[in-house]
Amino acid sequence: MLLVVVLAALSSARPASGQEIAVAAAADLKFAMGELAANFEKQTGNKVNVTYGSSGNFFSQIQNGAPFDLFFSADLEYAKKLEAGGQAEPGTLYNYAVGRIVIWMPPGTKVDLNAQGMNALLDSAIRKIAIANPVHAPYGRSAVAALKKAGIYEKVEPKLVYGENISQAAQFVQSGNAQAGFIALSLAISPAMKDSGEMWLIPAELHPPIEQAAVVVRNSQKKEAAKAFLEYIKSAAGKAVMDRYGFTTPPASEVKRKAA
Amino acid sequence: MEVVASELKPDALIARIRAPRRNKNSSPFVLDLSVEVPPGITILFGPSGAGKSTLLDCVAGLARPEEGRIALGEAILFDTATRVELPPQQRKIGYLFQSAALFPHMSVEENVAYGLDKLPANVRQEQVREILDAFRVEGLRARRPGEISGGEGQRVALARSLVTAPRALLLDEPLTGLDAELKSAIVDDLRAWNAAKRIPILYVTHSREEVDALGERVIALENGHVVSTGAPMDVLDAPRRKRLAQAAGFENLLAGTVLDLREADGVMRVRLGETACEIEVPLGYAAVGTHVRVAIRAGDILLATEQPRGLSARNVLEGQIASLEKRGTMIIARVDCGVSFVAHVTPGAVRALELTAGRRVWLVLKTHSCHLVE
Amino acid sequence: MAGPLLLSLKLAAVVALLLLVVGVTAASWLAFSRWRGKFLLESVVALPLVLPPTVLGYYALMSMGPRGPLGKLWIAFFGHGLAFTFGGLVLASVLYSLPFTVQPLTAAFGSVDRKLLDASAVLGAGKLRTFWRVILPLSIPGVVTAVVLSFAHTMGEFGVVLMVGGNLAGVTRTASIAVYDDVQALDYAAANQTALVLLLISFAVLCAVYGMNRRVWKLWPAS
Repeated sequence: MLLVVVLAALSSARPASGQEIAVAAAADLKFAMGELAANFEKQTGNKVNVTYGSSGNFFSQIQNGAPFDLFFSADLEYAKKLEAGGQAEPGTLYNYAVGRIVIWMPPGTKVDLNAQGMNALLDSAIRKIAIANPVHAPYGRSAVAALKKAGIYEKVEPKLVYGENISQAAQFVQSGNAQAGFIALSLAISPAMKDSGEMWLIPAELHPPIEQAAVVVRNSQKKEAAKAFLEYIKSAAGKAVMDRYGFTTPPASEVKRKAA
Repeated sequence: MEVVASELKPDALIARIRAPRRNKNSSPFVLDLSVEVPPGITILFGPSGAGKSTLLDCVAGLARPEEGRIALGEAILFDTATRVELPPQQRKIGYLFQSAALFPHMSVEENVAYGLDKLPANVRQEQVREILDAFRVEGLRARRPGEISGGEGQRVALARSLVTAPRALLLDEPLTGLDAELKSAIVDDLRAWNAAKRIPILYVTHSREEVDALGERVIALENGHVVSTGAPMDVLDAPRRKRLAQAAGFENLLAGTVLDLREADGVMRVRLGETACEIEVPLGYAAVGTHVRVAIRAGDILLATEQPRGLSARNVLEGQIASLEKRGTMIIARVDCGVSFVAHVTPGAVRALELTAGRRVWLVLKTHSCHLVE
Repeated sequence: MAGPLLLSLKLAAVVALLLLVVGVTAASWLAFSRWRGKFLLESVVALPLVLPPTVLGYYALMSMGPRGPLGKLWIAFFGHGLAFTFGGLVLASVLYSLPFTVQPLTAAFGSVDRKLLDASAVLGAGKLRTFWRVILPLSIPGVVTAVVLSFAHTMGEFGVVLMVGGNLAGVTRTASIAVYDDVQALDYAAANQTALVLLLISFAVLCAVYGMNRRVWKLWPAS
């Protein structure tokens, strides 16, 4: 099996040099994917053009023939649905990461997030809490699940405001319009946000795992190159990058908790 | 700057201004003048572009002179020296525009009542009714401006301006485009109204007939300056400026040189152009040899098909008809005597004398039909 | 489905009325001022025509926050922020639809015959009376156009609402957001329904107003 994989990687690497592939990636992959794409380009000479957005959106678009070559979904379900619907290249479904969520607050908040954890959200100083829209964003759904599991959902629900995706949720908090927000761990530890606020990691037991999966799109004209990129993600080098950006990669490993 | 000397009536309109011309289309110049308008109708006469509308706008407060003083009787409306400037709303001066400027969305009655909004309703209604009657447009009170004729519109506009009992009235060529009968009817109404009220009325026109019909006084304006004032006959029949001459209806403007002066007879002889034609004109302030311009009305020229004898007219010139052109009920004859003349004759005369192009004719000009122009 | 549609209607109505007041003020200044710097204000008013709604939404979001000038004032007055509220949507929409009101109004006011304004002044009417009795009645078609355009434009607004709304049911989840949500959630049936009703309502409003406008023209022929 390994031989086949190696042979495939070798054979696809050379003829595909100089190609450009279009990748649809969930918003939480913003910083991880940037580095992965750059590395891949250096290695193989293939350019990776990444579009970030909400997984639900991309799902609809790919269903309707959007010209992406690869889809990195934040929700396993969308990838599975594509496979079932015949829009994914068979055999390419890959669970590339497990996502984690954090509560994030801008600096100078009078609430002690570290000490109180979830209950910090009950404080009256927290007037608005931003989350990604649970209707179509898996991180949003997980946030709601965690709130319910912690038993504070009813109290907190009137304060919720819904962003299009976790990036917009983060934007609401960063601009000060919301005093707290649920965002992806990967976003919270990214260079853009790392030093500009405090975060508190939500214990994994409080919500179902956010399994994130990727597929190669069936209609892609550049399947070889796409598969090559996917192989790179699966490789040890790729996993290391993912880890650094806050994604738990199979086999499961402890995510390093970064102190604020 | 000319200062007009005349009797200073207590409620006269006096304006001394220097202002840039408002009309951007023509060449820019500065209006620099001083006028005095006593009670009664004063005509402001001049070719288009002379600055007449600008003067009216300054008096009404719709334009601001650079420098000057405008007073109505004892009330000072504008004075750069003491920094007085009343807005148009407070000047109590009526202004009738060339286009009547009736509010199209209001009825005739509402238009006329517009300036009386501060009066109680019953007083207002009474005054409106009176003035509509006076100007004979009572029957139109409920109509819209779009539903009445041009002449009726001007009457309504006049009524609208006068019902507010203004202290002065400005009219900017209000009768242009109306037929003669209508014009004289409106003029009569205005005269009748003013006989009672006697406010200064400044009436702008470039039409000779209106001057003759209306004017008690004429102020002639040209290029922003007053060039002449006085009774209509004096100002218009002896124009001293070329453009004014053209405006006043002198179709012939001939260049000439003074040959000799006959002071005892009160005449002088002028050679026309470089030709052998010589005519006798009234004595003017010109030395022998100076160049002058002579203005003659086409209507003052007689044509004869035989050399006339025993005429009192001193100027008889032989020539040839160059062309005959019909214009309305008049024939325009161009006659070449070495110098080209324009004469007006009736169609009856053309038939009776069997005038045709090329025919040899004699021109007859009275001395006093020839006017010296600067 | 009724909730977001009613919210869109409410937003469009409030914004159109507010813009009428703001627009008439701005337009009468623009139509009659002779200040040499007038072109600056005209450009500012026209900005929302060329800016993507997301840019407008972004700046709106930033200025509504506690660090922004508007946000600071609002929080000082009212104790809470402006974003994620109906009021915040109204403000953002007013900015977004501003040129759709101001430009037709300016054109209508400016096309009133200047001689009529002169006549009004000479007859003793001050600026306010001249505006109320002469300029405004002769500009009715322009006023109607302005109101209709800003109403319709706000009904269809999406980008700005997305940026500052926070998608709160009954408060900021307008019909356009609801359709988007439904599509995201793969509920195409619901999306279709809302979209169709939105289309029909907008069309009906436009028909009613343009139809009425023609009769208004007969009442006041702006000759």
